[in-house]
Amino acid sequence: MNRLSLSLCAAAAISSLSAQDARQIAEEAQRRTRASSQRYEGTLTVTNKAGKTAEKRWQYERFGSHGSSKTVLRFTAPAEVKGVALLVVNHADRASDQWMWTPALQRERRIALQDRSTRFFGTDFSFEDLEERDVDQYDYKMLGEEAIDGAPCWRIEWRPKQTKRSQYTHAVVWIRKDNYALAKVESFTKDQLARRLHFRDIRNVQGIWTAHLLDMEDLRRASRTILKFETLQYNLPLKDENFTLQALRRE
Amino acid sequence: MILLRLISWQYARKHVLRSLLTVAGIALGVAVFVGMHTANQSVLYAFHSTVDRIAGKTQLQVWSGEAGFDEEVLERVQAATEVKVAVPVIEAVVSTGRAGQGNLLILGVDMTGDRSLRDYDLESADAEIIEDPLVFLAQPDSLIVTRDFALRNGLALNSRLSLSTMEGEKQFTVRGIMRSGGLTRAFGGNLAIMDIYAVQKIFGRGRHFDRIDLTLGDDVPLERGQAALRRVLGPGFQVEPPSGRVAQFDSILRVYSISLNISSAFALFIGMFIIYNSFAIAVTQRRTEIGILRALGATRGQIRRLFLGESAAAGLLGAALGVGFGILLARGAVGQVGGMLEGIYGLTQRANEIALNPRLISLAFLIGIVTSMLSAWIPAHSAARVDPVQAVQKGKYQVLSAGENRLRRRIAAVLAILAAASLAMGRSMIVFYGGYLLTIVAALLLTPTLALWLARTIRPALRGFFPVEGALAADSLIQAPRRTSATVAALMLSLAMVIGLGGVTRASYRPLIDWMTSSLNPDMFVTPSENLSDRTYRFPLAMRGELERIPGIDHVQSVRTARMIYRGGPVLVIGIEVDRVSRRVHSRVIAGDPERMFAVTAAGAGVIISENLAELNRLSLGETLELATPEGLLRLPIAGITRDFSDQQGSLMIDRSVFQRWWRDDAVNIFRVYLRRDAVAGEVKERILERFRHERRLFVLLNQEVRQYILRLTNQWFGMTYVQIAVAVLVAVLGIVNTLTVSITDRRRELGVIQAVGGLRKQIRYTIWMEAVAIGAIGSLLGLALGAISLYYTLEMTRRDFSGMRFDYEYPLPIAAAIVPIILAAAFLSALWPAESAIRSSLVEALEYE
Amino acid sequence: MIQLTQVTKQFDGKRRVTALEEVSLGVDRGEMAAIVGPSGSGKSTLLNLIGGLDRPSSGEVRIDGSLLSGLSDDGLTRVRRDKIGFIFQFFNLLPTLTCVENVSLPLHLRGWARQKTEERSRELLELVGLGHRLEHLPEELSGGERQRVAIARALAVYPPILLADEPTGNLDTHTGQEILKLVHDLHDRLGATILIVTHDAGVAQSCQRTVTLRDGRIVEDHRR
Repeated sequence: MNRLSLSLCAAAAISSLSAQDARQIAEEAQRRTRASSQRYEGTLTVTNKAGKTAEKRWQYERFGSHGSSKTVLRFTAPAEVKGVALLVVNHADRASDQWMWTPALQRERRIALQDRSTRFFGTDFSFEDLEERDVDQYDYKMLGEEAIDGAPCWRIEWRPKQTKRSQYTHAVVWIRKDNYALAKVESFTKDQLARRLHFRDIRNVQGIWTAHLLDMEDLRRASRTILKFETLQYNLPLKDENFTLQALRRE
Repeated sequence: MILLRLISWQYARKHVLRSLLTVAGIALGVAVFVGMHTANQSVLYAFHSTVDRIAGKTQLQVWSGEAGFDEEVLERVQAATEVKVAVPVIEAVVSTGRAGQGNLLILGVDMTGDRSLRDYDLESADAEIIEDPLVFLAQPDSLIVTRDFALRNGLALNSRLSLSTMEGEKQFTVRGIMRSGGLTRAFGGNLAIMDIYAVQKIFGRGRHFDRIDLTLGDDVPLERGQAALRRVLGPGFQVEPPSGRVAQFDSILRVYSISLNISSAFALFIGMFIIYNSFAIAVTQRRTEIGILRALGATRGQIRRLFLGESAAAGLLGAALGVGFGILLARGAVGQVGGMLEGIYGLTQRANEIALNPRLISLAFLIGIVTSMLSAWIPAHSAARVDPVQAVQKGKYQVLSAGENRLRRRIAAVLAILAAASLAMGRSMIVFYGGYLLTIVAALLLTPTLALWLARTIRPALRGFFPVEGALAADSLIQAPRRTSATVAALMLSLAMVIGLGGVTRASYRPLIDWMTSSLNPDMFVTPSENLSDRTYRFPLAMRGELERIPGIDHVQSVRTARMIYRGGPVLVIGIEVDRVSRRVHSRVIAGDPERMFAVTAAGAGVIISENLAELNRLSLGETLELATPEGLLRLPIAGITRDFSDQQGSLMIDRSVFQRWWRDDAVNIFRVYLRRDAVAGEVKERILERFRHERRLFVLLNQEVRQYILRLTNQWFGMTYVQIAVAVLVAVLGIVNTLTVSITDRRRELGVIQAVGGLRKQIRYTIWMEAVAIGAIGSLLGLALGAISLYYTLEMTRRDFSGMRFDYEYPLPIAAAIVPIILAAAFLSALWPAESAIRSSLVEALEYE
Repeated sequence: MIQLTQVTKQFDGKRRVTALEEVSLGVDRGEMAAIVGPSGSGKSTLLNLIGGLDRPSSGEVRIDGSLLSGLSDDGLTRVRRDKIGFIFQFFNLLPTLTCVENVSLPLHLRGWARQKTEERSRELLELVGLGHRLEHLPEELSGGERQRVAIARALAVYPPILLADEPTGNLDTHTGQEILKLVHDLHDRLGATILIVTHDAGVAQSCQRTVTLRDGRIVEDHRR
């Protein structure tokens, strides 16, 4: 009986140790992407089931670091949406506030994102997929190791804590062992694979390993979105006042 | 059953016309009942189904009367933990400007969140629009229309559609076409989806929403969510399931529905008379037959059942016909009803199909059969009492006995006294309406006596003019009071009803015109839509200054009106610059000191309410009125009560500043414009139109036009009176044809004798014509008299329960003068055919008759 | 005075019934004739045709020289009102009118002045022996009295022809006798042409001439 309980304890200890590891890995991955600001020009290509493609371009600026960052995203193409801007203010303790500015109406609107499973403007990303993930809101479980694109990775299960509302029941995340960069995320709803996100073209920019191509597949819709980053820079001298509603209206 | 086939069917076949008339009596009543209700229900149904279809998955809706509320409320609703998804909505009805296409319901939604509530099933080619609302939102001219609407108007993706906005005519682009399905059938398919923020802009709605649609968290019960939101929002908001809005719509239409029910009941009542008449006559005529049946061993019960069976069959047939005619009637009336409701209540609906309610149809059949059997009850009973020995003896008539007449008169007197007593007995509704009913019953009981007396009175006159024909006609009436009295009674009731309703119409005219003269006295009105009660578009307040700078304009007052809920019923809130208005308007004050009343209200420390609001809600001067606003409970003492016809169910006037504060809304519905003394209205109108041509949608209505508009609406409303006049005339025709046919059959022999001893055809003809006209005249006379009483009751009903308006008693002589010739003419026309048939029938048979 | 030539009357029902078949009959001015025969022999039909109440299917009816078949309905009525008085078995008085009014009826219909009408009606009622019952309603009179009123009415304009359809048929024997006597009396005094349809052998025998009908044909024409 003692042996049995001992072995159970040991198993618990091992699993808790590995969970600790998984969490540490996630923390480290997040720590390594930390930067005071970021800017890039993105190109978004959506290819639907029928093979039809649509393209959008935007300019992206982020100010502040994880948990309390602010971002402004300005569309530059196609012509119909040029000038439309999004302001996202992230909060550590609650869902982000989001506003959209439409130049034709000359007014901003609050995006009432109560349903974060909504797709992000016709792409295969949901709003939730684009949020910054807070390490504390998940439970972790080390599932093993596996190579992605030839690079050895940890395979970790992320399961949102009870308090967090998510469209997914869990996700499996691959993190590269060499540089802690995310390589792949598979998101599940009720054990069914819903989305697969592939991080490609991972390069070191100012000391941060950054994917320059995000390849998202929506398995239910059988469509795919590729997001490419260009002229990506970190730690630029951006000003807080450029990340307000007033600033959104100015341009 | 066998008796029915053997006896009744033969009789019906032999008396085709009379049988048809009996059936027509039922058909008439049922047709009016079905027609009016179906037309009404079709409009209601259109509204209900629009609400339903638009509601989608919505569990609760938050709104605040029709004023709308600040955007900020949305955040408060979304913040409630019980709420899963809450999205803002604005509904606006615009004219498509396309012939025959009517109005378009614009549903303003926030596309980024709305899909969780509503399913926009777009045609596949442009599905991305919904998937990617960015393109849609970035371009405020975007519109999604239904496939139906697109097909009807030849629209395809990227087609342009011109709509009038606050900034004038604007081109919109179809960026999506919805597949046919639930949502697309709302508003008869004339539905377009637009970005809510674009809607705010083009309809001048500022930063306001009409409504918030929401769903609750997965395990939050409706009641809990409702209670939580009520707590968060305060009393100024309605938090109801979508069906609650339907209930509100119904309560706005209350007055209309009551009037409708009265009309239907009236038609049925009239139908009953025709049936009673037919059966009473049939029983008299078939006495011999009944006698033989009785002699052969038929029991009284069998005889009674025979007649009741006949009446049931007639009722069934009549109901079937009536339902058919009613549906036709509804088809014709539905547009009219919709138009009237739009004009009076500002509720626009596109009812393009008839909503056939199976329950209504079954009810119609039930009503048809039951009323038929009820009206045949007395005749069936008297048939059962027929004495077999007397009945088979030839040439003997059972005449209405003097004793029976005395009894009737006594009962009538008792009822009349009771009715008079009920008037003195205070405000109880049952007592009051009971009194009215007693009066009518008393009048009905007295009809035979009065008709007889009148016929005797006019006999010398008729004889004087036409010695033979006149005397014969009068004698025919005197001889058989039972034959004529039902027709006379029906005529009397119809006319009394016409006088009552017509009297109210006329009585309301003068106060209405007084009100228009004293209160609606600006030289012109600047409005954002042609229709004064439509509140879809709103002006910004800044426009007042712009208007005042136009040469020729002396003074501008801005008005904001909105329908609210007060004590569960609708009330029109009028936010107005009281200080400015008081200098120009001298409305009729019912209670309160005119000077002080305006001063207090202008200072935001009081409210002036309309007479009808006070009457309907039993409010009096000095009482504190509690009004639930989006900002909380507004308490204001009643500073004055004035006569105001702005709304059927009451209106209240507060200062604009109060409205702005409690509704956080400074938009304007109407500008009241006064001109300088030397200004020419037409020129100023041109200047206003020119000034705003390119920036605003607006209409300049001259004082005269507004007055005409209101009078036209009033007339439309009272159009129901004309329907009733039509019914009255129809009754006259049906009843008189019936009576005459019977009278002729009864007197075939007599007419034969007259011809045998040398009566010419035209003499017979004149006799019958005169008899008909005499029935018409007697019925009219009694009707006009009963009308005087009916008018009193109708005025009281209007005051107590309908609109709370108090009108002076004034007998509508012009209506009486118009209706009597119509009835007489109808009587004359209805005599033409029976007269000819009398002349044409064989003399030999007539003389051998019986 | 009355001349029927080859008169046929058929009734079209489900089966065609021939009521009279090629009947020819002449009645002279001042003659008093009885028409007898069993039920359905065509007596009443014959009387109706003569009185212009009905039209023959073929053949001619002449009254005082004028051919009825050429006349309109109103034309027939004019012949009736000027030349013919009717007496019915069931009297056919209007129940709501007094005796005077009933007798006045044909005169009113002719548009006579009230004064004149009144005088004539009284005179006639005196003539039939009802001078004391002027203002009575028919229901207040006995059968015989009613028939007298009916006779007075038939005589209103002193027509040259009187047609009586079973005038005693609805009366008891005694009253029948009286009425018959009255008719004879009137015949003598006024010299009218009188045709009486009757079942009553006594009535028939009292006439100068008896025409017997059977199955729509005249089988006997007997003058005394």
